[in-house]
Parts: sequence; C-alpha cells; structure tokens
Amino acid sequence: MRRPVRAAPSAAAARVTLWIYVALVLAFLLVPIAIIMPMSFSDQPYLTFPPPGWTLHWYAVVQDQPRWLAAALNSFRIGVPSALLAVLFGTFAALAIVRSGSRWAKPMTLLVLAPMMLPHVIIAIGLFPTLVDLRLINTYAAVVVGHTVIGISLVFLTVSAALRGYPASLDLVARTLGANAWRTFVRVTMPMTWTGIASGGLLAFAASFDELMLALFLTSAKTETLPRLIWDQLSFALTPALAAVATLMLALSMFLLSAVAVIGSVRSPPPKRIFP
Amino acid sequence: MAKSGGTELRFEGVAKHYGPIAALQPTTLLICPGEFFALLGPSGSGKTTLLGIAAGFIQPSEGRIFVNGHDITGEPPERRNIGMVFQNYSLFPFLTVFKNVAFPLEMRKRPKPEIAERVRRMLEMVRLAHLADRLPSELSGGQQQRVALARAAVYDPAVLLMDEPLGALDKALREEMQDEIKQFHAKIRATVIYVTHDQQEAAFMADRTAILNHGLVEQHGPQNELYESPRNAFVAGFLGEANLLTVVGITPLPNGRYRALTTEGLPLTTAKAPPGIGELVACIRPANVAILRESHSRTDRFAGMIAEAVHAAESIRYRVQINERCSIVVRALSTRGADRYRPGEQVTVGWDPEDVMIMPK
Repeated sequence: MRRPVRAAPSAAAARVTLWIYVALVLAFLLVPIAIIMPMSFSDQPYLTFPPPGWTLHWYAVVQDQPRWLAAALNSFRIGVPSALLAVLFGTFAALAIVRSGSRWAKPMTLLVLAPMMLPHVIIAIGLFPTLVDLRLINTYAAVVVGHTVIGISLVFLTVSAALRGYPASLDLVARTLGANAWRTFVRVTMPMTWTGIASGGLLAFAASFDELMLALFLTSAKTETLPRLIWDQLSFALTPALAAVATLMLALSMFLLSAVAVIGSVRSPPPKRIFP
Repeated sequence: MAKSGGTELRFEGVAKHYGPIAALQPTTLLICPGEFFALLGPSGSGKTTLLGIAAGFIQPSEGRIFVNGHDITGEPPERRNIGMVFQNYSLFPFLTVFKNVAFPLEMRKRPKPEIAERVRRMLEMVRLAHLADRLPSELSGGQQQRVALARAAVYDPAVLLMDEPLGALDKALREEMQDEIKQFHAKIRATVIYVTHDQQEAAFMADRTAILNHGLVEQHGPQNELYESPRNAFVAGFLGEANLLTVVGITPLPNGRYRALTTEGLPLTTAKAPPGIGELVACIRPANVAILRESHSRTDRFAGMIAEAVHAAESIRYRVQINERCSIVVRALSTRGADRYRPGEQVTVGWDPEDVMIMPK
C-alpha cells in the first residue's frame, strides 16, 4: 500500500490544497478553545488576549467563591443521574428497535434521535409548563428529566452501533441454550455491548455537564449548574475567573472524551462471520 | 428409519404469514424419533421459517407443534429443550471453548463437577478437548462449528436444529464435516432437522428430505423416492438433472402404453398412466438417456448432433441438439473404453418408456 514516490505536479498541488484546508478547519475548531486557556492566567482584571502578564490569581478567586463550588457539585448531582437514566432508557430503546426487524424501526429511530435535532430551547419550552404542572420545577428532578431526554439519543446511538456490530443469532442461540430473555441480556448482550453502553453514558454525562439552555429554564438559584452560573456571571463581570472555570470544565471534558476513545479501542474479539 | 431414543416432532398445519405474504403455507410433517430430516429448497422457500418456528423464534400464524405429543406452540425457545446450530457458528466470542459448551448446563443450574465432566466428554467426542481454553477467534471454521455442535448437544436436547451449518465452509472441509455430523448423530441419536440448499448434502446425510418451494412442502420422503418418482417438475428439476419437455397431448396406445406429444416436437412413449389434470411435463433423467449405435434398440430414438461435451470427473455430460427447439442432456459414464463423442458429430439418442415420467408442471 505504498504511495507512488513522485506525484504528478497537479496531484502535489491538490495535496497541498488539502493540507491547507484541513489546517484551516482544525484552526477554526480549536483556536477558540486554545485562546480561553491563556486568558485564564492573565494578570489583568478583564479578558484580554494575549495576556500581558501571568498569574494563578483567578483560580484562587474561583476557589474562594462557594457559589462556584456549589454549581460544580450541582452539575455532578444532575449529570450523574441523568447519564444513568439515559443509559437505562437508551440501551433498552436500542435493543428493542435494532432487534425488532419491524417496519416501524426506522420511524421509531428518528423519534428517539429527535432531541438531538431539535433546538434545546424548544425542548425547554415544552418541558417547562409540564414540570410546573407536576410541581417539579426548580427541583433537581426537573433538570434531570430534561438532560435525560438529551442523553437517551446519545446512548441510543452508541448502543445501536454496538448491537449492529455482532450477529443477532448470538442472542437467539443463548435462548435455545436455555437462557430466558433477561439472562440472555445479562450474559450475552451486555458483554457484547458494554463498550457502547459505557461510552454512551460518558457522552450523556458530558452533554449534561455542558448544557445551558435547559438549565436556564429548569434550574433555580439552588440547583444552578456551572454553564448557567457562567452565563449569569457573563452579564456583569467579564473577569478571567470565567476563563478559569471554562478551562477547568475543558479539562474534565477532555478527560471524558479520552475515556470514550479508550473504551472504544478496547473491543472484545468480533465473531468471524456476520449472520447473513 | 426410527432409532431408539430421540424425540418425535410433529408440525400440524403450521403456517406463517407476513401481511399478505405467506412465508410458509400450511405444513404438516411428522419427524420420527432419532430421524435425520433435511429441509431442502432454494433461498426464500420457507425452510428457515419452518426451523425458526420449531426453535420458537417465530410464532406461527396458524397450526401447532408437538414434541412427543406435547403441544409446545406457545413455549419460549429456552423452555423447548432444543439445540440449535447456526451457519455462522454463533459462539460467544468472550468465552473460552469450555465456557461456551458449559453455558447451557449453567443455564440449567447443574452442579459444577457435573458440568466439568459433561463438557469434557462432549469436547472429546468432537476431538477438541485439547483446545478447551482457547477463545473461538483462535479456532478454524471447522473447529468452531464442532464447538457449536458440542454446545448444542451437551444437554441432550430433544431435537437438534441445524441451519445450513456447513454453508460457510469450503468444499473439502464441508465434506469432512458432513461425515463428522453424521457420525455425531449416530452417537447421540437425537432427532435432527437440517436445513440446506445443497441436495447432495441432504442425500448424503438425511433419512428423509422435504423439498420446499415458495413456502410450500412440495414433497417429502427418502431421497431415492423423491428422485425416482418426483411429484412435479420442480422436485424433478431440483433433485438432480432433468430433461423437461412440455406435454400438449396424450393418447393411449393399443399396447397399454401412452403417446405424449410435446411442444418441442418429440413424440414420447411412456409406460406409466399419466396424471389426468393440468399442464403436464415429461421428465427424462440424463443418466437414462443413451447415445445409440445402430445395433441398439429403443422405443424412442431421435437423431441429433452433439452440441456440447463437458468432461467431469466420473461422467461426461453431452448436450445433443435434436431440433432448433429442443436439446437433450445425456449423462454418460466416462469408464475406460466408453465411446467418446465430439461436438458436431451426428448421433442417435434413445430411452426406454419406463424412464419417461409424466407429471404436473
């Protein structure tokens, strides 16, 4: 699979153009993220780039304000149960739809994925009056419900991919061997799909951790999350403390993404042939 | 045909519809204890549907299934005590060979020492005891299928269902495994239903065969019976080679025989009384057609020209052009000293009236 040693001039030009294009796309994606980090170490009381001097002062400021810590804890209190509920519902939805073979499988898939396509503000507007009626508004449950809705789509995607990665006959054969539906799930389906379930759960947590729009509608001062607090602070104090919080959140997100990537690379050996 | 041990399986009017499409037309079959029964047919003929109904994966739209007279139609797969072997082996890739074979015994909550003993004995039977600690991905295709066989039989299931188990193997290995499965069946004496689209495989392995087409069992019985007296043109053409000619009219002859006129322009003499109704075809097996010398006598003889001669290992297949609408295939043994013909040679072909079978189209 070696490339030809010498490419034709037009091919070389195309290659250079492609490299420039890829570099521009990466810059577009990464520069805003890269800029926020140095700004958090700035010795000025406002956001500047590049910062004229360096300090860790703003991290100390963040640490000293209990509101930031409370918001961080809220983000976990909301993100963890949202992710767990999303794993529960998303996994079973994927199992039902992928393995059904029904002609309703396609429309049902679109329905489960709809929260990914819909603007979050619309989901929020839909959830708000319902949760008011249920007297759940401003509780943790309210925003957990909202974030579960978003997380289900993500878990559904990763678990469906894992289910499609092995032949359904593996589940069927377990049934003939004497395992009922539940034991088949525990003994065969779970070991075959745990990478999809785990990465789906991490993605669902990350989605909840980053989410602003539903948090604006569904959280109160008591249950506010980190993105909501950043948003509130933006309107009156544009200090490097915000950049410091953003950098910390970025670190956690990067950690979660790496975890997903690592899980994705640990795969049980696939069966040799696919069921026709 | 029936051996001791094993279980009787009975399909009674079993059918499956998907909306207006009939995947399986009402089917009644009795499979005897210990019998090796093949379901043979082209893809989409309903043989896998019938197997799925036996396994409990598919609920029939009509009809009932009985094991030893006990109705199991509504039972889920795990309570039917059946063993199933798939074409793709379907071994659990995260479990060792030993753990794969132990799985059904664990599901039945057998004590550990008993599991170890039965798995060991079963792996010895399929000659894989030395690979017990390997993962399936470390085995060859034939070895994987033997593990699947051991796993499906270790708990003495009432019926063993096999869905084209050798379909993924190459020809040499397939023939070896056919032997292996046959010997295995002789040892465990389970009732086996074996789905295949390979008629030679069915002929080699099965006590009886059912031929399916378009969701319908066209005919069932021992293979020689199906070959010698096929009920219709599909069965005749599916089991072995057949020269099929369309019959347009039949007249009785004074000697008790019948004269059939065909659209191909060949008048045929047949010894058996033809069925009375519908569109008919005449079937002559290529092996029953002879290329004649002057000294030979046959009731039906036609002059033609060798259009094609294909030399296979044990026989030569000639295509003899009789007229522009009709050519007859001849299967001649390629024994030493047998006459050889070349394309372009003028010959005469002939056959006996006993070898002309008239049947519905």
